[in-house]
Formats: sequence, structure tokens, C-alpha cells
Amino acid sequence: MVVFALFVISKAGGLIYNREFHSGLIKLSSNDLLMLAGSFHGMHAITKQLCPTPPTSANTSGNTVLAPSPFVSRPTGIEVLETSHFRVQCFQTQTGTKFLLFTEPQQPNIDSMMRKIYELYADFVMKNPFYTVEMPIRCEKFDRGLDGFVKVRS
Amino acid sequence: MVLYAFYIFDRHTECIYSKRWTPRPASSGKTRPHSGSSITTNGDAAPTRKPMSDSDDQKLIFGLVFSLRNMVQKLGGEDDTFLSYRTAEYKLHYYETPTRMKFVMLTDTKQNNLRPYLHQIWANLYVEYVVKNPLAPVEHPGGIGVANELFERGLETFIMAVLPA
Repeated sequence: MVVFALFVISKAGGLIYNREFHSGLIKLSSNDLLMLAGSFHGMHAITKQLCPTPPTSANTSGNTVLAPSPFVSRPTGIEVLETSHFRVQCFQTQTGTKFLLFTEPQQPNIDSMMRKIYELYADFVMKNPFYTVEMPIRCEKFDRGLDGFVKVRS
Repeated sequence: MVLYAFYIFDRHTECIYSKRWTPRPASSGKTRPHSGSSITTNGDAAPTRKPMSDSDDQKLIFGLVFSLRNMVQKLGGEDDTFLSYRTAEYKLHYYETPTRMKFVMLTDTKQNNLRPYLHQIWANLYVEYVVKNPLAPVEHPGGIGVANELFERGLETFIMAVLPA
């Protein structure tokens, strides 16, 4: 069980948080990381465009739809990217923030990990009164929460 | 098992073969009026652009796999290879030959990695019927010489045999 790194990309495509837990990926300068985050943001948008089927609306399963969903059903972009050395799980929140989790190729339970990380983000970043949205995340409690969580897992 | 599309790109970024099994979805231009506030939108541009043609798709896919491949090599080292990505709607499989030809297949999301099959398509069909064809040009500008009858039929039977619907 190895988690290499976590990136958080703002809805504008800027890298607002990056954290390395295990070495394994090539070390990149912060400029390169910013470029990478920006290009991933663009590629994510392209993968939405390329969708070969019309998106299935989430609330067509039941016949009795009580209220229309406030969110337009759009195709999602990249969710999982696999390479021979690592695997990237991408989770996009409703507000467009993207969480990228770099793990080993055979990592199990990434979904639950992602949910936990999102929870930590909601608790310690979004509820932090001194945090400005879309700005780089510098919250000690978030760092510590991630550390504790990832160390327990690995 | 659903196959959506298959593309071959040569080393000059050109799409030399493409096959779609499903028609492009009519891009529904229904947009809701957006409020201009940047806090409430989630960064997605409103889908108001004109619908894309097949050649636009090909260029987008080439650009996409090219940048993904570069990103993967930057992060994982020179010997790392990009295999596939998955969205909620489809999965893209990728295979690159040593001569930088790129084979791309779009399928539904439940498909396992198709890299071995893409390799077989290259080795058993492309090399046999296109490269060894004395009448085919060395390069394939505009896809000349690729979509010959033997290759098409071979591809069809191969897909029928190894990827049953």
C-alpha cells in the first residue's frame, strides 16, 4: 500500500496544494508541478468533450422524480488514469476543485480514501475562517490529518 | 462490452485510420443561463460551441494522449508508459509501438486493459496487411494504404473473436 502524492487543483486550474507522502515519483520543481496541474486541468476538460455517449442523467432511475436536480448532468472527465508505474485517481467536487491521488497501480479502496480526504478538506480547509478560496492551502491541521490518515493506511 | 471507436495515429501526428462503431452524440446545445458569479459556477464553460466533426475528435484525441503520455513520463520516468484512463462514461486504451505509432481504443468502462489486444492488432494486422503490402506507401499521409480490404476484414474478425459483444 503506497500513496505517492496528493494534489489539489482549483477550479481555475491552479495547483493549490501538493504533498508527497512516499518517494517514487520523479521530483519536479514547483514550476513544473504548476504546469502539470494546469495541463491536467485542460486534459480533464477535453476528456469531457470526447464522451462518445450522451451522459446518463442520475435521476432517471426512478420514475417519480420529486425535484429536478440542481446540477446539469454533464459527462465527467478523467476519473482514473493508469500507467505501468502508478495510478491516478481524480475526484472532482461539485464546485470544480479536483483532488488527484497518486498511488501504486494495485491500490485497493481508493474511493473511500478519497472520501476521507475530501472530508478532511471540508473540515480543516473550508471551515478554516482564515482560508481564502482558490488560494494555496496552508492549514496545519489538514496536513496533520492527512499525515495521520495516510500513515495509518500504509 | 461496447466498443465506441478505434484510431491509429502515425508518428507525424496524423490520424491514418479511424473507425467509429457508434455515431457521435448530437451535442445538445441546451444551456441554462448562467449567472456571472465566479463563486457559483464550477469552472465548466457553458457548452455553446458548435458541434465537433470527426476530424476534430481525432485531433483532440491525439493531443490528449500525447500530453498524457508526456505527463506520465515526466512523473514516472522515461520507462513509464501510459496505459489507459477511465471516466464515468467511457475508457480509453492506449498502445504505442517503438516507432511512435499510437493505437487508441475507446470502450465502455467495464473493459479491462486492452493493451495486449492493441499490440496484437499492430503485430498481426497492421504489420501483416499494411506494412507488408508492396503497394502501400511507406508513410500514410491522409491514411492512404491503411484501410485496405484485408486489414478492415481482419480487424472486424479480430474484434468479433476476442471482444465478444
